[in-house]
Amino acid sequence: MNIVKKILLVSAIIFIAIQFIQPAHNKSDQLLASDISQIVTTSDSVRALLKNTCYDCHSNNTIYPWYSNIQPMGWLMAKHIKNGKEALNFSEFGSYSSRRQLSKLNGIANSIRDDIMPLRSYKLMHKNSQFSASQMELLINWAQQSKDSLSAK
Amino acid sequence: MMKNIILGLAMAATSLAVCNSNNRSIEYLKMNKDLQLKSTVNNTSLMTSSVADAKITVSIKEILNDYLQMKNAFTEDNSTGAATAGKKLEAAFKKFDKSALTAAQKKTYEDVEADAVEHAEHIGANGGKIEHQREHFELLSKDIYDLVKAFGGGQVLYKDFDPMYNNGKGAFWLSETKEIKNPYMGKAMLTSGSIKEEIK
Repeated sequence: MNIVKKILLVSAIIFIAIQFIQPAHNKSDQLLASDISQIVTTSDSVRALLKNTCYDCHSNNTIYPWYSNIQPMGWLMAKHIKNGKEALNFSEFGSYSSRRQLSKLNGIANSIRDDIMPLRSYKLMHKNSQFSASQMELLINWAQQSKDSLSAK
Repeated sequence: MMKNIILGLAMAATSLAVCNSNNRSIEYLKMNKDLQLKSTVNNTSLMTSSVADAKITVSIKEILNDYLQMKNAFTEDNSTGAATAGKKLEAAFKKFDKSALTAAQKKTYEDVEADAVEHAEHIGANGGKIEHQREHFELLSKDIYDLVKAFGGGQVLYKDFDPMYNNGKGAFWLSETKEIKNPYMGKAMLTSGSIKEEIK
């Protein structure tokens, strides 16, 4: 057996072996009392946009694509989801202090306006996740209004 | 016989009186001791609270210094300078000595800290993107203002207001000087804005 064959064989074995290490899935159908929709007014269109474009990494419920079952893709996604939820979790929005809720809404509007979110890699893998100009405006206005209504409280 | 009785009574009376005065003086001594004790207790609690206050002032001072350094970097449109100050500020918040705080103070501090650290982190990580940094600076300024209002700043500060930032919604910042230097506009409109409050 020559060296090339050996390397191929070893990589194949490693590839098969890592398939058995599956990260835990981020799945929950429960609507928590701390969900953003329970804290501020969200129209159907805003909710649909958030769900479709943000919730995969910023909520307790990810819709997994087929390739998430192949490692190391699944691991990479798990890491993205962990970081995303740490920065902002729409399912647990109500657990933030009012100070942080305002900060988060501000951050949502800014990162959409500055095209920081959704991430480029996410847009690459999810067609239709690029906001149109009117969708951007809808979400930014929603974040702004939510902020005003929370600070009036 | 009669003499004896009188003498006896007199003796009894004096001994009673002596006893009484003895008792009283003991009581007096006791009271005095209590008072002394109380005053020493008062003194120590006064001392520990002023030591605690001094500790808080030192920690706040460090946070303020880093914040003001960041503010000054923004007035010069210096994005990397602001980032450096952001990293310092994050560290200053994290090393704040919370042991000196009462339960209520701790709650106030931790509320501000959770938010401010995040802003400092973002400003620290986004050197080169000054507009993004300024967005965080606006919210950070509110956190620092609340902190100073709750714990004192240990120095005279000015709350300045820029009516144009944020699509005309306006934003404020804290400054150590009376002269207006606008961190949101930088060199483009350095002197726009006005003093809203003097915090002593």
